Amino acid sequence: MGEEYSPPMHSPRLGQPDLGVGIGLRVPHYPAIFRRRPKVDFFEVISENFMVGGGKPRHHLDRVLENYPIVLHGVSMGIGGPSPPSREYLNELKDLVRYTKTAWVTDHLCFSGARGVHLHDLLPMPFTEEAVRVVVERARAIQDHLEVRFALENTSSYLTFATSTMAEWDFVSEIVERADIGILFDVNNVYVNAYNHGFDPLEFVRAVPHERIVQVHVAGHTNLGKYIVDTHRGPVIEPVWDLYRETIELAGPVSTIVEWDDEIPPLDVVLAEAERARGIRDDALGVRESSVRGIPEERRVPLLARETLPDDDRPWIQGGPRDAAFDEISTRSE
Amino acid sequence: MSDLAEVQEWMAALLRHDRALPLDATVRVEASQHIAGNDRLTPAEQLEIYREQFWLRHTASLVEDFPGLSGILGQEDWERLVEGYLGEVAPTSWSLRDLGDRLPAYVERCDWLEHHELAVDMARLEWRYIEIFDAKDASRLAPARVAAILPEAWRNARMRFAPAVALLDVRYPVVELRRKLRMASNNPVPIPERQPAHLVLHRGSDRNLHYTEVTAVEAALLRLLHQGEPLLAACEAVAERFPDDAAVIQTSVGRWFHEWARREWIVDVESS
Repeated sequence: MGEEYSPPMHSPRLGQPDLGVGIGLRVPHYPAIFRRRPKVDFFEVISENFMVGGGKPRHHLDRVLENYPIVLHGVSMGIGGPSPPSREYLNELKDLVRYTKTAWVTDHLCFSGARGVHLHDLLPMPFTEEAVRVVVERARAIQDHLEVRFALENTSSYLTFATSTMAEWDFVSEIVERADIGILFDVNNVYVNAYNHGFDPLEFVRAVPHERIVQVHVAGHTNLGKYIVDTHRGPVIEPVWDLYRETIELAGPVSTIVEWDDEIPPLDVVLAEAERARGIRDDALGVRESSVRGIPEERRVPLLARETLPDDDRPWIQGGPRDAAFDEISTRSE
Repeated sequence: MSDLAEVQEWMAALLRHDRALPLDATVRVEASQHIAGNDRLTPAEQLEIYREQFWLRHTASLVEDFPGLSGILGQEDWERLVEGYLGEVAPTSWSLRDLGDRLPAYVERCDWLEHHELAVDMARLEWRYIEIFDAKDASRLAPARVAAILPEAWRNARMRFAPAVALLDVRYPVVELRRKLRMASNNPVPIPERQPAHLVLHRGSDRNLHYTEVTAVEAALLRLLHQGEPLLAACEAVAERFPDDAAVIQTSVGRWFHEWARREWIVDVESS
């Protein structure tokens, strides 16, 4: 049996609401969502897809907002880069914040380019005091500007920097505490990084300030043997569910989103994953209520054996900011 | 420059290389200084994952936005075009939607393309589609608003067009070709003959994209009005350009205006 544990005394989720369990809003699911109005507690939308003037994207957003709460999740802020996010970007994001009445806004703890070039990727940060200072200053300013709770997501990565002076979990913790912002805790990214960089994912899960977790992501990934790619493809694997359970036991009820961005299956498949998340969440909360728990050996999270996969597995394209931005074009002459 | 900014600028610059990073001895040395690596992947190999992602993500985005152009060019020429474009024109917008904003101009410079004029037409069409797809919505021009304009005020009236309207002159039937290419799967689609046309691309109330072919005279007038020319000045300029059609312009402009308003191309009239 493990050590005794007591939940933290801070206000959970930084006082943010528990919205329950939801899924990412994706274009292939629009017809089913609008036709059936399925039971989904809330949707997460990619902010940049709806930071447009009008047309189908905004029309679809309006239809979703009629029946569901949504939260905004960005992919292009690049908060940790050589230059801060542009004022134009932040103003457009703020307009969308007000329009959607999102409870919080999230983006990634990463950089996205340099010298005016935007690489549309979530590039890793060195875990240094300088990087902490840069991100803290910007995160505080962004949260003030947006006038809504801001949270940063721990990002998956395929390299670490030789100059890093701290562990990733300490880097994340330091930033969110000093900036007084929330965490979007992605347990799949924890698993991916543990595999890619060789650490115990449970150490990461236990180390972050749990009262600052305002939302959790769960997702699938693609194991290429030498490394795992964060593809958001396929169902969530059991070790990631274990990390999710552990997170809920530590943090309490936290809004949870199931991400599935590549080779997107029918809506019911993703909803089934959401129901799985709900069951695990309920189960974990039952354990949490007892307020004393151990971590049985059999529930420690194993990393999968590193097998070599076939050569025809190619690097992936992350499902991301394009999936909802460009709908089918229908043309006809008049 | 700070240490953080320096390593980020170094990494960002490498990701747009068109050659695998582990093949470059200088990159291997630099990577070993900045990146930890592990027992499975060298530092340069870890960087290479991100470089490949850059190219895959951005080429996939361009294929999605320019299916007609990629269909015309075929695999080899398309890859050469895209590699050249992404190498020369760095993405600067935070939105991938804007990735192809300079592609039509780039295609125009690529006179090595086999069906160059056709490719230019198609690139321009597809970029216009992107622009009007999610352009700002606009309200229909109310008849009461039109009725309130005094007759003498029309001379200097300026038309305000809906943001989701674009004018395009083409030399080939690219709209129809694009439709065929998108439906063709792997079946070959013949390259069409020249067929110049003046098109108005617009987003309908159904939020779908439509096109309307107009005459050269109507297109010329629309273009001047779209540029902000007052109505009378625009009519006179078009009549001078098309003297044989001067009478047509005079008798048709009222009917045209009502049609343009009905189609929600014109959403307001600014009269002094």
